[in-house]
Amino acid sequence: MYQNAIELNGISKRFAGHTAVRSLSLTVPRGGIYGLLGPNGAGKSTTIRMILSILLPDEGTVTLFGGEAASRALSMRIGYLPEERGLYRRMIVQEHLVFLAEIKGIPRARARELTKHWLARLGLSDWGKRRVEDLSKGMQQKVQFIGALLHEPELVILDEPFSGLDPVNSQVMRDVVVEIAREGRTVLFSTHIMEQAERMCDRIAIIARGEKVVDGRLADIKSEAGVRNVALAFHRNQDAAARVLADRNLVARVDDYGASAEVELAAGAASDALLQALMAAGVGILRFEVVEPSLQSIFIAKVGLDAATAPAREDLAHA
Amino acid sequence: MHKIWAIVRREFLDKVRTKAFLIGTLLFPVLMIGLSLLPVLLNRRESAPKRIAVVDGTHGEVGMKVTEALAAARRQGTEGTRYTVSRVPAQNRTDAVRDSLVALVGLEQAGSETLDGVLVLTDESVDSGRIPYLGVNVGSMGDMNKLESELQTALRLERLRRAGVDPFVAMPALRPIDVVTQKVTAGKLTGESGGSSFILAYIMGLVLYVVMLMYGIQVMSSVVEEKTSRIAEVLMSSVTPFQMMLGKVFGVGAAALLQLVIWGTTATLLTTYRAQLAKLFGASPDAMASMATMKLPSLRPDLLAVFLIYFVLGFLLFAAMYAAVAAMCNSQQEAQQAVVPVSMTMVVGYVTMFSMLNDPSGSLATTLSLIPLLAPFVVPVRYSLAPIPLPELLLSIALTFGAMLLVVWVAGRIYRVGILLHGKRPKLREVLRWVTA
Repeated sequence: MYQNAIELNGISKRFAGHTAVRSLSLTVPRGGIYGLLGPNGAGKSTTIRMILSILLPDEGTVTLFGGEAASRALSMRIGYLPEERGLYRRMIVQEHLVFLAEIKGIPRARARELTKHWLARLGLSDWGKRRVEDLSKGMQQKVQFIGALLHEPELVILDEPFSGLDPVNSQVMRDVVVEIAREGRTVLFSTHIMEQAERMCDRIAIIARGEKVVDGRLADIKSEAGVRNVALAFHRNQDAAARVLADRNLVARVDDYGASAEVELAAGAASDALLQALMAAGVGILRFEVVEPSLQSIFIAKVGLDAATAPAREDLAHA
Repeated sequence: MHKIWAIVRREFLDKVRTKAFLIGTLLFPVLMIGLSLLPVLLNRRESAPKRIAVVDGTHGEVGMKVTEALAAARRQGTEGTRYTVSRVPAQNRTDAVRDSLVALVGLEQAGSETLDGVLVLTDESVDSGRIPYLGVNVGSMGDMNKLESELQTALRLERLRRAGVDPFVAMPALRPIDVVTQKVTAGKLTGESGGSSFILAYIMGLVLYVVMLMYGIQVMSSVVEEKTSRIAEVLMSSVTPFQMMLGKVFGVGAAALLQLVIWGTTATLLTTYRAQLAKLFGASPDAMASMATMKLPSLRPDLLAVFLIYFVLGFLLFAAMYAAVAAMCNSQQEAQQAVVPVSMTMVVGYVTMFSMLNDPSGSLATTLSLIPLLAPFVVPVRYSLAPIPLPELLLSIALTFGAMLLVVWVAGRIYRVGILLHGKRPKLREVLRWVTA
């Protein structure tokens, strides 16, 4: 049995005049949910496309399931949901799903069984014989998940799986992902929404501008970052609060959200000193809590705000 | 292999289940039935004799003779008269008489008074051979041809008589000459006439052109659909772009082949049983007898083989080009513009076929057969008209096959990159880099 579902060893990808991914090394161990985080344009999709051999890295190697074979030969064991989704509009839903399973190498009879099972599981049994174009957008999204998951792959790769989903489907998707991980299978998903990853992932990697910023177990990353953060919420006198938070002897960094804020205490400053200062300024405090740093604040601490915005990028498919 | 097969099947079913396929498949046999029965049915329809007034402004017997000759004309294969002729003597006042009669032509309500046409004979018109006819049916080539040939015979006799030549001596000498053709293939009489092998060549060329163009465009729109619907990326995680492209081309090609087979089979059945069919539609026995004597072209096995080889090679060649061009485009509209050079190449191939019809063994034909982009159109048509030496045929097939492999390879390189590319259309220089990279 393999140790790591995915090993990336120094992979790079350059497009005309711009490097999308630069000597990226990552290890995604077997089992669990792995989050690939980063702002838009950080190189997440390019990395995923290289894992799936849709793009070939200019340098470095991709190893899947600890073996030599390339992803296409392993397609039966991998499920993939690309960021840009689509279906053949004129096709019958169940035929479409059977087709998607077949091109992964699943025999037709088995593909039919799986299709039936999954349509029932996501409540689409009545729609199996309809054309894709007759389905609502939400239902089409479900069909797309099924397409990525019905062959029960050991490794599921989802590129921005929650973007553009309605809340109901988002929940369905989360439940399915969590269940896959519970069965000991591996899920790798990319997102630019830190909160989402924070709730779901065991491990994460943050990349920015094509380079890895940090990776590892989420808990380790947080404890390494220290517990010197305070989450605040105000209900009165926010201007006064802003003045207090601007004091660099107390506060090293602020993520200001208006009525709430997350601050990193300055070296040597105690949390009660901050509380006293805020009280003295007459700020109406709704919440004052010493917390683990959020992924968002870790990310900004690591790469800076400017890196969190996307660089102008050439089209990623350029080769 | 299983994966490609799944793509081929999907593509095939996608094309075959469309209304366009159904209509195309049915329409052709209906047209075939129509075309093969139309002459027979039209023959039957020629029921009522044409009412013609002959304005006779001549001096002497010419007008009388012509009137008699027209009155004696019989409708093809029947005893019925072709014309109901009335002669109106009109010496020195032909114009007035003509005009008064013209007033009666084509009157629907006038019953027996109405005329179909007025023929004006004067001494000058008889001499010059330019005889005015004013009628409702002047647009009918059939009617006019028959009228001309009746007049020709009658007036020839009359002119000979005037010149003092005995018509019974002269007429046999004036009998028209007709080269009766029979096609010989490899030392054997086929029993076909030259005309029928021409028709066969023409139909084959047309079918090749229409089917390749139609299905080439289908490959194109199907690639664009995959690209714009973004399903291409899902496919590419399981199969290589090359497999994707081949699966698509083979799937669409299979649909095209199916349609050809259906057409071929109906055409064969129709021609074999057309006598029975004609009876069903109520054709007269004489018309059917005349039909039975006309030998129809048959598709010899070797010709069929050549046709299919070139169809397959040509389809792969052009479909790969369509796929590559489509992979560079972002929308159907864009693809339709970008694909014009490919379609134009096919039009050139189609037009070149006609140059074959005159001289299928000439040096032009030989040269064109060796140009891979034209050979799929030229060679089958040539082969149906005249034999092609085997080494020449094999060389042409080899060249076309080689070109096909090259085009498919290049197309695969373009497809590989293009299918993931969204945004502005690449410049030619970039496309060249994809191919050579």
